[in-house]
Amino acid sequence: MTMAAREFDITIQPNGEVELHIKGHKGPGCLEVVKLFEQIVGELKSQQQTNEFYEPEEQVRYNIDQRR
Amino acid sequence: MSAICILAPVVIAGWPVFSAAVSAAAAALGYQVVSEAARATDVVVKQKGMVELDIERSEVVTGKLGRDQRISVTREGVTVTFSRSARGKATLCVTGQGRSDEALRAFGEELSRAVVQQYVYQRLLEEIRARGFVIAAQETSEDRSIRLTVRQWET
Repeated sequence: MTMAAREFDITIQPNGEVELHIKGHKGPGCLEVVKLFEQIVGELKSQQQTNEFYEPEEQVRYNIDQRR
Repeated sequence: MSAICILAPVVIAGWPVFSAAVSAAAAALGYQVVSEAARATDVVVKQKGMVELDIERSEVVTGKLGRDQRISVTREGVTVTFSRSARGKATLCVTGQGRSDEALRAFGEELSRAVVQQYVYQRLLEEIRARGFVIAAQETSEDRSIRLTVRQWET
């Protein structure tokens, strides 16, 4: 089954600076995406995590539920 | 939402990729490409009506044969010639009769920003496609910023 998992909003400013809005990635998965875009675009100037970043990834939550 | 990041671009490109970004940026800003050729490096003498600029954080990667490549574009009597500096940076020389250095610098800075934007845009498109991501939406704002909505599908 195929499902839309993650979405990125990428804004390339007129001077080439990139604003990247990562949606749907939680925890370490989010950092991997940031690293990927660093490789493609360049230097990370700033990063702001939202609440979802601190939530566990789906797979982890699923395993915990099974143990109950 | 998970994270919002700001990334500063670094241009590292071979001449074909760099000159493609110059052509795309020039077209977007109403310039016409007047020449693209390999030419023996001229001794550039600073003269009135001429400004030289470097694109910061840039490197034009090229072998010995590609060192003297250059591309010139023109608009409103102003000619901008892009080439690779001796230190490997992307550099541009702006000339135009009867214009102040400030005016020529403004032309050069506007165009060099657009070149960096086009380079980043092309690089992102290439990587997005190579990784099997899908571009769900794309729009260019009045301020010339380009917005892409990209989806990653999972099986």
